[in-house]
Amino acid sequence: MRKITKFRAAKLTVAVTALLALAGGFVGISAAAASQPQAKPNTEVTGETYVIGTDTTFAPFEYRKDGELTGIDMDLIRDIAKNQGFTVEIKSLGFDAALQALQSNQVDGVIAGMSITDERGLIFDFSDPYFDSGVQMAVAEDNTKISGYADLAGENVVAKRGSEGETFANSIKDEYGFTVKALADSATMYDDVKAGNSVAVFDDYPVLAYGINQNNGLKSVTEKEQGSSYGFAVNKGQNPELLAAFNTGLAELKTSGEYQDILDTYLEQPAPAASSGFFGLLSDSLPALMKGLGLTLLATALSIVIALVLGVLFGFFKVSESRVLRGIASVYVSIFRGTPLLVQAFFFYFGLPQLTGQSIDVLTAGVLTLSLNAGAYMTEIVRGGIQSVDPGQTEAGRSLGLGYVTTMRRVVLPQAVKIMTPSFINQFVMTLKDTSLLAVIGFAELTYQGQQIYAANFRTGETLLIVAALYFIVINLLTMLSNKLDKRFNK
Amino acid sequence: MSKISVSKISVRGLRKSFGSNEVLKGLDVEIIEGEVVCVIGPSGSGKSTFLRCLNKLDELSAGTVIVDGFNLSDKTVDLNEVRQHIGMVFQHFNLFPHMTVLQNIMLAPVELKKESTADARASALKLLDRVGLADKATARPAQLSGGQKQRVAIARSLAVNPDIMLFDEATSALDPEMVGEVLQVIRDLAAEGMTMVVVTHEMGFAREVADRVIFMADGVIVEEGTPAELFGNPQQPRTQDFLSKVL
Repeated sequence: MRKITKFRAAKLTVAVTALLALAGGFVGISAAAASQPQAKPNTEVTGETYVIGTDTTFAPFEYRKDGELTGIDMDLIRDIAKNQGFTVEIKSLGFDAALQALQSNQVDGVIAGMSITDERGLIFDFSDPYFDSGVQMAVAEDNTKISGYADLAGENVVAKRGSEGETFANSIKDEYGFTVKALADSATMYDDVKAGNSVAVFDDYPVLAYGINQNNGLKSVTEKEQGSSYGFAVNKGQNPELLAAFNTGLAELKTSGEYQDILDTYLEQPAPAASSGFFGLLSDSLPALMKGLGLTLLATALSIVIALVLGVLFGFFKVSESRVLRGIASVYVSIFRGTPLLVQAFFFYFGLPQLTGQSIDVLTAGVLTLSLNAGAYMTEIVRGGIQSVDPGQTEAGRSLGLGYVTTMRRVVLPQAVKIMTPSFINQFVMTLKDTSLLAVIGFAELTYQGQQIYAANFRTGETLLIVAALYFIVINLLTMLSNKLDKRFNK
Repeated sequence: MSKISVSKISVRGLRKSFGSNEVLKGLDVEIIEGEVVCVIGPSGSGKSTFLRCLNKLDELSAGTVIVDGFNLSDKTVDLNEVRQHIGMVFQHFNLFPHMTVLQNIMLAPVELKKESTADARASALKLLDRVGLADKATARPAQLSGGQKQRVAIARSLAVNPDIMLFDEATSALDPEMVGEVLQVIRDLAAEGMTMVVVTHEMGFAREVADRVIFMADGVIVEEGTPAELFGNPQQPRTQDFLSKVL
C-alpha cells in the first residue's frame, strides 16, 4: 500500500463518504468476478519450490508470532501453494528489500501488502487483486474530542511516509486546516498519537484494524476511504506459471470460503486478553531475541576475524616502501571509510547480484559488508600502531644487522600491538553495534528481532528497552573480558 | 698500542641531501684499524649524518663508503652482513622497552644464529659484567638510569662482535653525573684497540681519547689533526671560533 504515487483523492468531499457503502459492495462484486473456478491445479507448478519475498513487519499481512511468520499474506500464499501443489520458501526481507530482490531475481515472487500501481506495472507483472484496502483515521482511545475530519482544525496528524494515508491526509489538510507529519512505520505512528504529539493517525485500514484489536491504545473514528488493491507480483515476464497458479488458487479459495476465513482471522477476531506485564513481554520475546543475539555475535565474530586479516595486510601495505602497495591500501581505505555502511550493505546485497547475476545470501552479504568496512578502520589502526613506534627502535634493530622482517617481528610489532589493542577493542565494539544496521537487508539479528516483536504487539518502548539492555550487557561483558586479556598479555 | 696501517673505513666524495638540502658536501676520510676518531662541530654541521652514512642508516646521495672491504654504494652488498661488523650507539639509547636487559643483548646473536641461546646468555652476562651492570640482567630498560641504559646499549652493540664502533652523541642525553660512567666504558674500548668514530660534544674526552679529531661545519671537514694540534693550535678561523665558545 506504500509509495502509491497516482492516488487521486484531491477533491474528496463528504459525497465520497456516501459512496463508501457502494464501494464496500464492489469488493464483493470484484471478488466474485475474479473467481472463475478452474477445477484442476496448474500442473506446470506442481512439485516446484518458489522463493517468495515479503516485508518484515506489516501486520496483519505479515509479521512474526512466536518467531513464526504469519499474517494474511502468509496464510494466503501458503494455502494457494497447497491448493496448486507447489512449495514456497518465504524470505522476510523488508518491503523495499523484497522489491529489490525481485528485480535482481533473488526471489521468484513478492507478496507484501503491495498496492497495484501503473508504475509498478512497468517492472512487475501483478496477479488479480487479492485485497481492497483503504485509508482510515484513528485517535487515542481516551480522546473524546475528535470524531471526524472537521475536529482536526489546528491539530497535528501523522501518516506513513510515502503511503496512501499520507497522500490522503495531504489532500484534505487544507480543507480541514491540520498539519501532516510523516513517520516510517505503523508502530512509531501509533506511539506518536498515544504520546500526544499528534492527535490522529491516517493508516491503511487493515493495519489499523489489526492494531486496535491488539490493544494498541487507539480507536478508529471514521469510515474507511476507498483505496487501492493489493496484488502478488513476479518480475516482468518471469515465472508466468507461478502468476497463473496464484490467480487460479486465489479464485478457488474465494469460492470455497477459505479466503474469507483468513481475513476474518486477522481482522475480525475479538480483542485478545489484556497485554501481559513487562516481565510477560520479556519472557515472551526472549527466545526470539536470543536467536537474534546469536546471529549478531556470529556476524560480529566472523567480521572481526576477517577485518583483522584485512587490516594487518593493508596496514603493512600502508607502511611499505612500495608506492603501488601503499596506493592499493589507500584506495581500499578511502572507499570503505568514505561511504556509509548502510550504502555498502545495500550494494553487496542488492547491487552486486544485479551486476554479476550471482545471488548472495544475507549472512554472507552482511559479513562481507562489515568485514570490509571494519577492515578499512583496522588498516588505519595497524598503520598508526606501527608508525607510532619510535623510528629509533627500527634503527637500533637494523644497526645490529637484523633484517626488516626480523626487526618488525621482534622489535616493532610487539610494541605496536600494545599500542593498537585499545583501538582494536573499540573497533570490535563498533562492529558489534554496526550489525544492527544489517536489519535493513533482512538479516535476522537482534535489532531486527526487536522490530518484528514491536511491529506485532505495538509495545515499542518496552521492546527497545529490552533490546538495548541486551546489547549493553553483551558489549560491556566483552569489553571487560578484552581489557582483562589486554592487561594480561600486554604488560 | 701498535697500529697496522690498514684502512678500515674509506670515505670518498661523500654527499648527502635531504630533498634540496645538502647536509654533506663532499667528505673524504680514511680511518685505519684501531684508530679512535672524534668528530666535533656545531649543531647541524652534518656530524650525525656522516656517522649514519657509515652503516647506511641514511642512503648515500653520492660518493663511496668502503667499510671493512664492503663497498656500501654497491646495491648488491648485504647490508645486514656489513652492519654486524659495525656497532652503533645512539644518543637516545633506543633500547627495546618490551625486553629485559639480557633479552636486549641476546636478541641479535640469537636471531642471527651466531650463537646458541645458552652461549648468547653467557656472552651477554659477560658483557654486562664488563659494563658494570651484571646485577641488572633481568631489569627492564624503564627501571634503569640514563647512564645505565647507555651502558646496556653499548653491551648490546658489542654482542655481535663488531670490529668498528660508532657513537652518535652517546652522552648528550645524560644527566651530567652519568656522563663519566659511559665515557669510561668507551675509554676502555679504545684501550682494547677498537676502531671507533665518536661524534661528541665532550671536548675534554676527545682531547684525552682521540687519535685524531675532525672538526666539521656546514657539511664539510674544516680541519683535522691530533688533539694537540686541533685543540692546541687550530689553523682555521671557524675552528678557533667554535673552540673559543665551547672550551
